[in-house]
Amino acid sequence: MKNYLKELSEVNTKLIKGTETLVGIDEIDVGTAPKELVYKEDKLTLYHYTQEGKVTCNVPVLIVYALVNRQYMLDLQPDRSIVRNLLQHGLDLYIIDWGYPTKADMYLTLDDYIDGYLNNCVDVIREKTGNDKITLMGICQGGTFCGIYSALYPEKVKNLVTLVAPFDFSTNDGLLFSWAKNMNVNALVDTYRVIPGDFLNAGFLMLMPFTLNIGKYVDMLDVTQEKESLLNFLRMEKWIFDSPGQAGECLRQFIRDCYQGNKLVKGELKVGERLVDLKNITMPLLNIYASADHLVPPAATRPLNNLVGSTDKSLYEFKGGHIGVFVGSKSQKELAPAISKWLHERGNEEPVKKNP
Amino acid sequence: METTKDFFDTWIKSQERIVDNLTESRKKIQQALWGLGSNGEGMSGFGDFQNIYSSWTNAVMNALRDTGTVDINVIRETLSKTLSGSNAYLKLYEIWLPLVKAIREKTVSPDAYKDLTDPVKHKEMLDRLFGFDPDAVSQAASQARKFLETFTGSVQQFMKPWAAASEKSSKTFPTLVEGHPESLMKIFHDMFEAFDSTIGRIFHVPAIGKDREKIELLLRGIDDLSVYLAKNIEYQNMMYATGLGAFEKVVESAAEKIKSGEESITFDEFFDLWVKVNEKTYYALFQTEDFSKMQGELLEASLNVRKHFFKLMELYLYDFPIALRSEMDDLYKTVYEMKKRVKGLEKRLGEVKREVTI
Repeated sequence: MKNYLKELSEVNTKLIKGTETLVGIDEIDVGTAPKELVYKEDKLTLYHYTQEGKVTCNVPVLIVYALVNRQYMLDLQPDRSIVRNLLQHGLDLYIIDWGYPTKADMYLTLDDYIDGYLNNCVDVIREKTGNDKITLMGICQGGTFCGIYSALYPEKVKNLVTLVAPFDFSTNDGLLFSWAKNMNVNALVDTYRVIPGDFLNAGFLMLMPFTLNIGKYVDMLDVTQEKESLLNFLRMEKWIFDSPGQAGECLRQFIRDCYQGNKLVKGELKVGERLVDLKNITMPLLNIYASADHLVPPAATRPLNNLVGSTDKSLYEFKGGHIGVFVGSKSQKELAPAISKWLHERGNEEPVKKNP
Repeated sequence: METTKDFFDTWIKSQERIVDNLTESRKKIQQALWGLGSNGEGMSGFGDFQNIYSSWTNAVMNALRDTGTVDINVIRETLSKTLSGSNAYLKLYEIWLPLVKAIREKTVSPDAYKDLTDPVKHKEMLDRLFGFDPDAVSQAASQARKFLETFTGSVQQFMKPWAAASEKSSKTFPTLVEGHPESLMKIFHDMFEAFDSTIGRIFHVPAIGKDREKIELLLRGIDDLSVYLAKNIEYQNMMYATGLGAFEKVVESAAEKIKSGEESITFDEFFDLWVKVNEKTYYALFQTEDFSKMQGELLEASLNVRKHFFKLMELYLYDFPIALRSEMDDLYKTVYEMKKRVKGLEKRLGEVKREVTI
């Protein structure tokens, strides 16, 4: 019994010391890779990362993150930054920051995001770099957007890279896929207009309630005395709970047509007035999935390769979970170099100028 | 320490407490309807009614936290969650201590170990984990009652027949205590239908004005609230039952380890086992179609409360010189369409300019 009391006492000591360290931190820096603003439209901002070395792959890459959570996950901290890693490999990177929608954005549709904002960003980069086509690298829902965009505008996309992006929503492997099917999305959107980020977070926390609500905070007590480790934990916390609201109309269509109707795979998804046919994706495709992804299960990501018209298509299995794709050590050591190699092999000899 | 049986007793008592609160509220509503309520208080109860939203949102989503982007907020939130996580950890420790003692002293039998756990503490932990707040239910009922008291004070002449009809349904209350949460829904459905088929007919005559709409919306809101409360009880019951089942598995597994002569299990190991078994058990529940449907229904029920509350709010605010939600929606729609049109024209203009240059 004495040992058990000692154990308890140690936890309390860690808690007190951890609290001291926590309140002593006043800045949690994220997204620190240097970048410049190149385009702004409504709440969207397009950034160009500063390449301090030499660009060795002359097809610019536009990174498109999901509307859920923030894009700085790709540059969470200097030693766990897929962005810095790709820059070091000589890529020319751009990234979209979708911003934080307010009620004024409640009517934004899938069409506005893909055929509007995303298309404008692609055009800005094409114009700025003199390239006829650029590479799209889409993450999670951003990957789905990039897939749709590539099917609508194949003439503007040189290569398509998707990371943990859902395409086949018929699976119930992931809890979110199962839960979304019984959600009255019309009631949700009609009531909220802009769906609070907290609402979505509550769903994410329910995926592993004991680990995410208790376990990880108890585990954190073991690292509270190491300021760097604690800062790493806080950076992740900042990202997890930095959740923009979701424009209602866009979310309505995404859940109704994708999660509930699986229309993308069936060739029935309409963006604006146009039907999306994934067979129109004919450019080289690198589809990356995570074998232990509990948010976007492999069953939702892998089928893309069988749905596109590309002949040059690769499927890359990342052994890990959804978040590990961006911040895990394997991501830095294996995945980023693999993406870079794949893109270099499909780069241009020199920039392909736009047609006069 | 309470046994598993005590746990269920506690659960039933908590249901009784809820019903007591509702019964109390109901009595007061009826007093108000029969003319005993306050009169001419205008909208003084409205602010209280607004809290209903907070109550159920806390209970369903636990999502009304301030999530600013300033770092101090992240730290504050993390600290709060760490303390909360540690609190749950310590509660588990309280459950663990007597258990491990009994296991070590071999006073625990395969059947008796279940009675050694403290389900009340376990329930408290689950409440904390899933954001269940028993007070939220009674608070919601109390707020609704306060609002009704105020409101019915001014419209009592219209409400008497409805009140008489609703009295009949009060007999349904005991069945709730007997473990039939759906009876709560029945009560309010009966109340609403009684209203709708009696005094409600009068209000169906056109041109009665906003008062009719207010009364209908108000009753619809209470009907929605009752559906939500009943669903919430059902949902919580499912979560508690799963939690209890998981905990039995944890204890069984820990007892087996110790009995089979393995080295003394530490609390940290027990905690890890507890997290692992619970995640697995809840995952199995979450994967079922039944859970998915239940969650969807609970969400819809909560959204209906909110939707009707906003409509009611609009009716009350209609005469004030402020922009209403629906009016702002129209404005946003207009701005959205105009922006889209302007962007399209600008794009077309750019293309024409380029064509002319070429």
